[in-house]
Amino acid sequence: MAQTKRYGFVIDVARCIDCRACLVACSVENEVPMDNTRIWVHDLGIKGTFPDLTRSFLPYNCMHCDNPPCTEVCVSGATYKDPDHGLVLVDQDACIGCGFCVDACPYNARYLDNERGVVDKCNACVQRLDVGMSPACVATCVGGSRLFGDLNDPTSEVSIALKNARSVQRFDLEYKEGVFTGPNIYYINGDVLQSGMGPRMPQYTLAEQGWKKALVPLMAAAVGGAFMVQATYFTKQLIEGEKEFDE
Amino acid sequence: MTQPVVSRRDFLKISGAAAGAVAATAGMLRAPVAQAAVSANLLDPDGDGYISTMCEMCVWRCGVRAKVKNGRVVKLEGNPEHSHSQGKLCARGQSGLMTTYDPDRVLHPLVRVGQRGEGKFRQASWEEALDIVASQMLRIKEQFGPEAMVFSSTHNLSQVQFENVLNGFGSPNYGTQRSLCFNAMVTAFLLTYGVEEPARNYDTVKYILYVGRNMAEAISTSETSGMVEALARGAKLVYLDPRFTKTAALASEWIPIRPGTDLAFLLGMIHEIVTYELGDCEFVKKYVVGCEELPAAMAEYTPEWAESKCGVPADTIRRIAREFAAAKTDALAHPGWRTSNFINSFQTERAIATLNAISGNVLVPGGCLIADSPEASGVSLGKPPQPAYPRVSALRLDGVPWKYPLVPLKLGVFQEIREAIITGQPYQARGWFISRQNPVLSIPDRKRTLEAMGKLDFIAVVDVIMNDTAWFADVVLPEASYLERYDPLHVVDGRIFLRQPVIEPQGEARSALWIYKQLGERLGLGDFFQYADEEDYLRQQLAPLGLDLELLKTRGYLDPHIEVEEPTEIRFNTPSGKIEIYSETLGNAGFSPWPTWEEPATPTPDRFYLLTGKVAQHTQMGTQNNQLLHKYSDKPRIWLHPSAAEPRGVLTNDLVRVRSDVGEVVVQALVTEAIRSDCVYMTPGYGHLSKGLRTAYNNGASDSELHVTYTDPVSGGQALTQTFVTVEKA
Repeated sequence: MAQTKRYGFVIDVARCIDCRACLVACSVENEVPMDNTRIWVHDLGIKGTFPDLTRSFLPYNCMHCDNPPCTEVCVSGATYKDPDHGLVLVDQDACIGCGFCVDACPYNARYLDNERGVVDKCNACVQRLDVGMSPACVATCVGGSRLFGDLNDPTSEVSIALKNARSVQRFDLEYKEGVFTGPNIYYINGDVLQSGMGPRMPQYTLAEQGWKKALVPLMAAAVGGAFMVQATYFTKQLIEGEKEFDE
Repeated sequence: MTQPVVSRRDFLKISGAAAGAVAATAGMLRAPVAQAAVSANLLDPDGDGYISTMCEMCVWRCGVRAKVKNGRVVKLEGNPEHSHSQGKLCARGQSGLMTTYDPDRVLHPLVRVGQRGEGKFRQASWEEALDIVASQMLRIKEQFGPEAMVFSSTHNLSQVQFENVLNGFGSPNYGTQRSLCFNAMVTAFLLTYGVEEPARNYDTVKYILYVGRNMAEAISTSETSGMVEALARGAKLVYLDPRFTKTAALASEWIPIRPGTDLAFLLGMIHEIVTYELGDCEFVKKYVVGCEELPAAMAEYTPEWAESKCGVPADTIRRIAREFAAAKTDALAHPGWRTSNFINSFQTERAIATLNAISGNVLVPGGCLIADSPEASGVSLGKPPQPAYPRVSALRLDGVPWKYPLVPLKLGVFQEIREAIITGQPYQARGWFISRQNPVLSIPDRKRTLEAMGKLDFIAVVDVIMNDTAWFADVVLPEASYLERYDPLHVVDGRIFLRQPVIEPQGEARSALWIYKQLGERLGLGDFFQYADEEDYLRQQLAPLGLDLELLKTRGYLDPHIEVEEPTEIRFNTPSGKIEIYSETLGNAGFSPWPTWEEPATPTPDRFYLLTGKVAQHTQMGTQNNQLLHKYSDKPRIWLHPSAAEPRGVLTNDLVRVRSDVGEVVVQALVTEAIRSDCVYMTPGYGHLSKGLRTAYNNGASDSELHVTYTDPVSGGQALTQTFVTVEKA
């Protein structure tokens, strides 16, 4: 493997309280337009009938896929997977704002910034990683739900969290014959593959508009079809197996 | 739907404008903030870097590291050196720079030119605005006595100097928000333990009982983190709330209790524990007054009796009591803020204090409730010299102590002041000086509060934005935001923290320390403000400890070396020196000396309990105009159970008309399983009247429009949930 680091997120679903500190932190750090958002906390809604109710939340952003569909459709070469650490990034000086990648992302994790005419999305705050800080969302996560680090390093916080997890899941998706996205967000300690937990529209006051403007046509594509069926369940053993393979 | 008022481009432009505003109007802050920070090596020569300060988006006061770039604050981080933030900030803390760069900031002194509430103001100089305020206050003092001026402000670090204006002026009328919030808790714990608000320790906690303490949404950063950590470790959380909140979603056991009956549940638990001697008998015998008689005093409160009141099965109460007692010092019954918001909330808090005491978790090493005084850290700061206050002989308008003998003087009963302004009894108030407080939205029965304001000759408001109360004021004095000013020091866990400006104040905004001094001097109270400027004030605070302000500014905190003597015995700050489950003080004032059942009012079948409760994106009624928080907030809607919605033909997002005995609002509905069928819920702090708040104006509806004023005779606390409403499709 040429790539020495494999950056990824581990999200402990049991620890997310939907406080949205991550969302505000991301918006400020990355100067996200008021009607867009780079990251989300999805709310599955309240399940069951009173008083037997459950509710859980799904922090969510670009999956920094091993095989990102977005890079394949990028005509300007602006969207690329970084060869050193695997983050999927957008060179906004090179981006022509055609929006093909926005359509191609099966996770709806990208948006077209109409003011600047470029595509934007989670970059795991590379500007912070460069100076030894963690992404803004991770640094401020009140419940300690969001973790980030090098999945190739067995001593990293993310690797340790994966090792100790009660369950591990990913939204892996076969986006074309035989090719899976290989997302680098690992969800631990909660079932996120239950019906309706996948990418869906959040109900924030201002974000609503951005979604309607740019992304609603995509919702049908992602939520409909066979998305959930194709989601792959990774057990703890599988992850450990993967690690052995890497070593 | 509310449209975004600022685009990102505007946001950047506004942020940029601050750089140009540098100290053009400097008075006390002669040296620009950036220049000082560069020489202290906090910022590099280009003006980029981090400055430590303190958050003010709620009252938890987390440590903040503010990232500054070329005269603008661009990001806020939690300070890892501060025990309240531990490197993190909540959504509100993260959004703080948007409050500072709010396009609706009040940046110049304003004097009203139209009718009250019309929103017509003209810009005035500080000189003129302060002269107007001072001359009006002096006129009122001369004609009607100092007591005709009401003062109100709460929970800010400059309050000590605000109180110098109040006490120096000689008025006994001080409105704090406390009676609208935690009077029941503070009064109960003062009477029982001798402390206002015991701290909580989550390090070893194994069993948590929250009585309506919605920790996942009413966030105190470190404590909320502590709860999540404890649950991840396997602690059990039992949560009493009529609503399935985000805390309920985390709880091991959610008990959707009927509003006002938490007290019965707790008394049932106490009965079980004391009857079967399941608690820490050693501790109780040694440190608790009334230990021998407690089982007899609780005899009638069997779990079966409790079931008949609160609807929770007796066996469940029994089991939870036994589990709680078995966790011993690792059990925690959280004091909360307002519990169920009923007139019996004082008794509920007494029951919580009792539960902790009999499990022995109070004050012992490793115990989960730290009934320790803040002075225990031994850090005693200096302060500028000042003369004694003038003697005040007038009765307090809030009825303390002549009507409310046990309400601590500094808590007061805010809502009673409003009533006294209207009735003119025992005398007529004429003026109101309000600092960063919003009584129009915070006191129940908004119409009546506006009526009271109409009775006053003069209203002055100090605030950062044009909040609803400022909108109805005669003079508005613009305070610098918390990122633009110094405040008096704050000590947390023996460590001294500093709030300092990380950018220049925008426009003509000034610190409260400056405003009060300027006003004080005009009122002839200069001797109460013996500091040259903010830094001089801080130096005088640090002087007795021999600590250096420059070092404090650079580091953001200092650790004074104080030898604290370990107390040889545990002594509580009560008349007996023990925990007073049996309180003679209460008995002497004509109240029950024991925690006791008080029957709560119940709605008629056509009405609902109106519940209120926080969301994690807002603080009270002060942050709804912050666009970053608005961006990530849920739409404010009234929650309604399907079984209540269906017969009324109400669907989610339908408009419904909500009526109480005092008011009526129209608001969108959210039909949800997450609430008892006899309750509805509204998020507080919405429904602003001020058109000076372009984001918050007309968004949602105000619960204070509906709230009926009910005051607990013991603690003076306002019983917010004792308001019952009808709901119909609008």
